Order: sequence, then C-alpha cells, then structure tokens
Amino acid sequence: MAGGRGEIGFEGVSLDYTVYHDRTLTLYETVINLFNRRTRRESFRALDDVSFHLSPGESVAMIGANGAGKSTTLKLLAGIYEPTRGRVSVGGRVASLLDLGVGFHPELTGAENVYLNGALLGIGRSGMRELLPRIVEFAGLERFLDTPVKYYSAGMFMRLGFSLATAVEPDVLLIDEVLAVGDAAFQRKCYDRIYGYKGGGRTILFVSHDLEAVARLCDRAIWLDAGRIRMDGRTHDVLAAYSEAPSLVATATAVTPREWGSREVWMDSVSLGRDAEGPPCRSFRPGEKIVVRMDVRSSLPGEVADVVAGFSIHRPDGSLVIGVNNMELDQPLLRLTGRAGLVLEIDLEVMEPGNYVMGLALTDPGKRMDYHWRDFFYPFTLEGERKEPPMKLRSATWKW
Amino acid sequence: MSWSAPRLALLMQSLVAKELKIRYKRSVLGFAWFLLKPVFSMIVFSVVFTRILRFGGSIEHYALFLLCGLLPWNFFSASLSASTGSLLDNQKIIRSIYFPRLALPIASVLANAVHLVLALVVLGVALAAFGHVPGPSMLALPLVLVLFVAMTCGLSLLICVGNVLYRDVAQVVEVLLLAWFYASPIIYPLSGEIPISPRVLSALRFNPVAGAMEIFHSLFHSGSWPASWCWVSLSCWAFGLLLVGVLVFRKAEPSVVKEL
Repeated sequence: MAGGRGEIGFEGVSLDYTVYHDRTLTLYETVINLFNRRTRRESFRALDDVSFHLSPGESVAMIGANGAGKSTTLKLLAGIYEPTRGRVSVGGRVASLLDLGVGFHPELTGAENVYLNGALLGIGRSGMRELLPRIVEFAGLERFLDTPVKYYSAGMFMRLGFSLATAVEPDVLLIDEVLAVGDAAFQRKCYDRIYGYKGGGRTILFVSHDLEAVARLCDRAIWLDAGRIRMDGRTHDVLAAYSEAPSLVATATAVTPREWGSREVWMDSVSLGRDAEGPPCRSFRPGEKIVVRMDVRSSLPGEVADVVAGFSIHRPDGSLVIGVNNMELDQPLLRLTGRAGLVLEIDLEVMEPGNYVMGLALTDPGKRMDYHWRDFFYPFTLEGERKEPPMKLRSATWKW
Repeated sequence: MSWSAPRLALLMQSLVAKELKIRYKRSVLGFAWFLLKPVFSMIVFSVVFTRILRFGGSIEHYALFLLCGLLPWNFFSASLSASTGSLLDNQKIIRSIYFPRLALPIASVLANAVHLVLALVVLGVALAAFGHVPGPSMLALPLVLVLFVAMTCGLSLLICVGNVLYRDVAQVVEVLLLAWFYASPIIYPLSGEIPISPRVLSALRFNPVAGAMEIFHSLFHSGSWPASWCWVSLSCWAFGLLLVGVLVFRKAEPSVVKEL
C-alpha cells in the first residue's frame, strides 16, 4: 500500500455493479424471460473516475444525494469492494463505522462477541482482554457483559458496537451515518470521542446527511453526484453550493420500475449518455443532449416493420412531463430483421432542473401490440439553474 | 491491512469456537447429536440390510462397519450443506468489515471436523469393546483426516460461491448428496464380501469419497492397511478440489461480495 500512516488515495477509481431486473410478473413472462436472460441484466456505474487524496490528520466530509456513491467510496476504502478500475490506497489501521454491531451473534454474550469481533479486526485474546474494560465502560454495559446480546435493547447493541469499533486506536476512521446512536447523552460521548480522534491527528472520512454535524467536524468536503466528484473544497463553500443545487430537492423516486410486453421485439443493453460513443452517464448539464443507445432485437421471423418507439419523462413522484413517440413526431417507423442498433437523441429546454425518470417503449399500435415497455426505468438528473422568476403573474382581480 | 498467518489462525480459531458454541445452545443433548444421528441411521440400515435384505450378514459386526462409514459421511454431508449458507448468512458482516472471507466456509467445515474427531474417538472405544482393537494402521488416521477435510473444504468453497450466484445450488447439493451416499462405499465395502461387477467397481473408484470411506473402514473395522488405490484417489481429489476451490473462490470473491 502506498502512502504513509493515515493517508488516503483514490486514483481514477470506477466501480460497476451488475443490476438485475427480475420482477417477473406472470408465468408467461417467466417463460419468455428464460430465453431473454440478457435483458434482465444491466451494468450500473456507481463511481465514475473518482480521484482525491486525504493527508494524515484531515477530517473530510463526503456529501451528496442517496445513491451518489458515498457508501461505495467508504466500502472501497474499508477493503470490502475492489475497484473495477483505478487504485485505492489507505495507510495504517482503519476503523470503519459502516454498520454497528453486525458481527454480533445474538446467542453469544457481550464479552464473547467482543472477543469474536476482535478476531475479525485482527486483535488477539490478550490484546482484547486489555481493551475490554475500556470498551465496556464506554458503552456503560458493565452489568450485562455475560448476557447474550439478544437480550440487549437496540441502544445497548449499538453502544457496544460503537465502543468496540473505536476502541482500537485507528489511523483512519471511516464513519457512515451511524452516529444516530442511542440516547442524547451517548451521542454526545460518541461525538466527543470522534473529536478526540480529530484532535489526535487521525484521518477521518465522514459521510452524513446531517450538514450541521459536517460543518462542525470537517474542514473540507467532497460533494459526490451520480458517481462523480462535483466539488471538492472548504466545507463552507461546498455546503453553500450543495444547498443551492436543485438535485438536492428530490432524492428518491416514489415510483418503482415496471416492465411488460410480449417481448417478440425487445430492447437490450440500454444506456444513457451524452453522445453516441461516450461513456454512459446519468447527469446532464444545460445544453447537453440525452442520447439513449440500445440494441433492438427481434425473435420474429423475417422483417418486422412499423415498430413505434416512444419515450416518457416523469417526475420522481410519477407525474408525466413528456410522453411522445416517433409516429406522433412524423418520423419513420422502425423496421428491423433480427437486430438493429437504435439511437434516440433528446434535446430538452430545461426550466426545472432536478431528478427525473425515463421510460422507453416499443409498440405496434396497428396490431394493438405492446412489444416491450419499461416504465420509470432510467433515473437521470438535469443540472442547471432554476429559471427565475419561477412564475409570472397573468392577472389579478379584486372583487367585492 | 495485511492478514498475517497468526492473525488468520486467530480468526479461524474464533470462528470455529463460535460455531461450536452456538450450535448446541439451548439443546439438552448437545454434542451427543453428532453421534446420535449416525447411530440412528446405523440402526435403520443394519435392520434393513441384515434382517430384510440379508446382505450385510456376511460382514462381521455389520452395525459397527456401518458406523465407520456413517461418521465420516455425516461430517462430509453436514459440511457441504452448511457451506451453502456460509456466505449468505454472514452477508452483513461481509458487507461492513474486510477480512479473508475464505475463513467463513472453512471455519464451518473445521467445526464439523472437530465433531468428527470426537465421534471417532467414541467409535474407537466401541470397536475395542467388540474386539476390533486398533492396529498399527491406525497411525495413518491423522493423514486420512487431513486429506478428507481438505477435500471437503475445497468442495465447500465451490458450493458457497455457487450458491450466492445461483440459489439453485443449495437444492442441487441436497439432491446430489442422497445419490452420492449410495454411490459411495458406506453401507457396503468395495473389496471382499459383496460381489460387485468390475465395470461398476472401477466407476465407483472414481468417486471422490470412495477412497476415504474405504480407508476409514479398513482402519477402524478390519484393522488392515488400506489398499494403495485409496490413497492415490484420496490425495488426488483432496489436492485437486482444494486447489480449484481456493482459486475459484479467490477469483469470484470481488463480484460475490457485490452480489450479496
């Protein structure tokens, strides 16, 4: 591992997940899916060419919407994931507060669990025996050490988890949104311990949606957006830009993806990007076209003609913004034999930046046939400034 | 963070201890179950094959002969069944701390191996009581145990990875173990008393557990030195399966972790 103790390096790191869409609804669809396996798999890039460097002793916050890649970054640093591309380096001992008390077995007592977790962290029994009094005292569980943890309350469980994870003096501390632990008094103690590490020159990477806590603990912040670094700088500046960003407003989508159709003609390897060749992306700046690439495949014999291709854009709450197809826009209908590459270019004038979700469809209205529908399937973000003013007054009248 | 050998040994030891501790919590008979299960199957098989089918009658102390094979087989099948869940059941730990995940399936095999050793001690005593005093060939016991456990580890690694990617693997293993049981020389010997056609015999010798079972029978039951083909077969399968298991596990590990 390159770098000294407490140093963190991320060089051009990308990480791809494979996402499966296996919501099969009917027996018929299940049978069809047997032969169309590939359409149910998609590659999803959680981190896209991310680079940053933390010097020993820095406390850095990582902020961004859900799914921006914050937790993935921490998991890469903790060694849980391996990057698809790029290099991750961490110097020294890492303590990760990703999820508290996960290694605990309910049937084992508090003390037995502490020893078992010590082994997972690489600390022997004698080392653990020395740490045990500190751990138990900090968690306030002296009386419950020989009780199986299944009888612990949720708060006791978390307290022991936190106390254990931070008992070993780490060089690097990774914290993922776990500080909502126990009662207010214990939270205070947790923060005190973390501030203590900060004062002691440890490197801290802190993921949180609690912007106040971020501002208190960290001098620097990295803003991740759709798997890329959008901003990296002083906490104050980054937080200011972050709270003004439109994509902050909508986080998760209220709608779930739906897929149906006869699949005699179907869409395969769908990806969204900025142009027909470049890498896939899910975030578009003003003036950028949304380019949807796909393979259209057919299992019907001979040529298939008169295929209508459509798309829709919905708000995250499911309300329709745009829904249109090539027939309505007087464009040639699709014809193919076996397979064809299809590129859909969408040029939008954006009044309301934010998160949206796209649907795609292949149909033949003449035959009243739905070949393949994917509703609410592709979330994406439109960046940019909100147009001001947000509304214009047409008229106002006062009557009495 | 690197995992040195002592650190890994500590982890293995703790995981094995955990498995042993939790398995018999709240169980009255506790460890005795590992003996009781094969003893119960022994009773069933010996009634079937000496009273009903009458083919076991030609083997001296057929009930004890059965136990010599049933104990190792019980270890083997329990290990493979347990390994289907060894990654899935620990997915929360795997997704929040890094440690060599290889340790999980191997620890569950080793926990079963501890049971096997204890059960074999009991078996040895029982055999001695019936006049089968262990001979000098018993010195080979540690070797056969190591090879047999290594082979089981290799298979367990393959199964636990497979089951994360395709949940069907757990079902397939269950079905396969049933067929495998009858295709292995557990309730019958390959040599001597029971006539088996040469073609079937050579096919049965390719069975990875055939060698081990024959060795256990000859060490404990007949007290003779096991045939050399048994050693060749067991060593080849043990090294081969362990190597393939470790390589496949290592290769699949990054994607398996993301898949969990």
